[in-house]
Amino acid sequence: MPKTLIFFALLALILFGAYQLNSKEPLYHSQSYVFGTLVDISIYGESDERARLLSNQVLQDFQNLHNRLHAWKPISEGKPSELGQLNIAFEQGSKPVSISPDLTAMLADATALSVKSNGLFNPAIGHLIGAWGFHRDEFSAVNIDDEKIKTLVKTNPSMADIVLENNTAYSKNPAVKLDLGGYAKGYALDIAANYLRKEHVKNALINIGGNIIAIGQHGDKAWRVGIQHPRAPTAIATLDLPDGWAVGTSGDYQRYFMLDGKRYCHIIDPRTGYPVQHTQAVTVLVPPQLPKQTQAGVLSDVASKPIFIESAVNKRKAAQVFGIDNFMVIDEKANIFVSKEMAKKLNWLTPNVKFTTIP
Amino acid sequence: MLNSQRFRKLLAQPERLTKELLLGDWLVVLASVLFILLLFKTLWSNEHAAKVQIRLGDKIYATYSLNQQRDVHVHGPIGSATISISQGKVRFSKSPCHNQYCVHQGWLTRAGQAAICLPNQISLELLGETKPYDSLNY
Repeated sequence: MPKTLIFFALLALILFGAYQLNSKEPLYHSQSYVFGTLVDISIYGESDERARLLSNQVLQDFQNLHNRLHAWKPISEGKPSELGQLNIAFEQGSKPVSISPDLTAMLADATALSVKSNGLFNPAIGHLIGAWGFHRDEFSAVNIDDEKIKTLVKTNPSMADIVLENNTAYSKNPAVKLDLGGYAKGYALDIAANYLRKEHVKNALINIGGNIIAIGQHGDKAWRVGIQHPRAPTAIATLDLPDGWAVGTSGDYQRYFMLDGKRYCHIIDPRTGYPVQHTQAVTVLVPPQLPKQTQAGVLSDVASKPIFIESAVNKRKAAQVFGIDNFMVIDEKANIFVSKEMAKKLNWLTPNVKFTTIP
Repeated sequence: MLNSQRFRKLLAQPERLTKELLLGDWLVVLASVLFILLLFKTLWSNEHAAKVQIRLGDKIYATYSLNQQRDVHVHGPIGSATISISQGKVRFSKSPCHNQYCVHQGWLTRAGQAAICLPNQISLELLGETKPYDSLNY
């Protein structure tokens, strides 16, 4: 009797050992360049084959969205993107043109967010962004034309100028030029997360150009993300991203040019028309949102902009507008400010990091 | 199982080994081998030398040890980039891209650090014993 017992114990041990030697973490990871940026998808707990098919579908959806919403690149010679066509119509007069239902929904949502932020998040200032030279793949330092910028600010382009009706749109102000650069990546995150959940994926991490959303977790641990240092090729801290949470950063290091020792970044204060120079980076951590409301991905993209643009004393207020409790600010002198909620969640990667807690 | 008397007899006549070993004996042998392999896997697999992984587009282009001195030339969609490896560190030293953000990133030294050249679709990532995070927010 004990012999059989020992026999089975040994057999179990061997099977366990063989399993351990064979087991590979069921993690699929892909990196691709779409959306004019790097897209990084991790899927945990699916077969490699299924994970590859799912992430290819996500990438294809991203590419389609990118082509439709591109602010300056035509689909082909003489054929502007859907957003490009709308911008041409806005410039030419106030005749309504038909747009697709999802673009209508995006514009309605972006308008509500813009109004909420007192116009600090303003996707209607495409002409200003273009004047600073950022509507090119290869942009250079521009000759700053103060008069032109003053004139553009005076035209006061606003999302509230756009009238949406039965999937048509027109603008009461011909100065409106849409640039969804601060919205589309977040929107694409929500689309991807919804798609993967619909396909019963339990664990995934999607990163589009730095904005990240989490589904489930990485095995028995939460997904962990690093936050980029604005001036060094390294992460400054890490944090755990629970199921449904999203994180986004606005930085002056992503698109910028240097002129006379000064940095001009792509984040422009709509009130002055000039690039913001008092802040290096703003990171927001966004919890899952209620259904039928602006989702976490979009908020992770949008909410960091007004905080970036606002002066130091008003940053907390700018965060509260979108219900953001968790945020971090790095100012022009590299001082770090962290909301008291966020301070509990950050793991600094270097010892003795000095930071100020925002109460 | 490994009855010592039986075992001594077998050792004296190794040609009878395969015939006389019982199933239990074989299981013990197999379990021991597996145990040793497992020990190797858990204790040995984390090599200490950090490596750099170079990606081109959506493919892993190559992985190099950092313990060497060499320049790697990678041909991306807009031209040839030079990646320099120098005793434990790595950087983009030449790139055909317009804004040169990748070159300005400078040397990467610690595991988890990364540099990306978006226009040329080339990225560098330092691989270490453990990954400090799953993805980078920037």
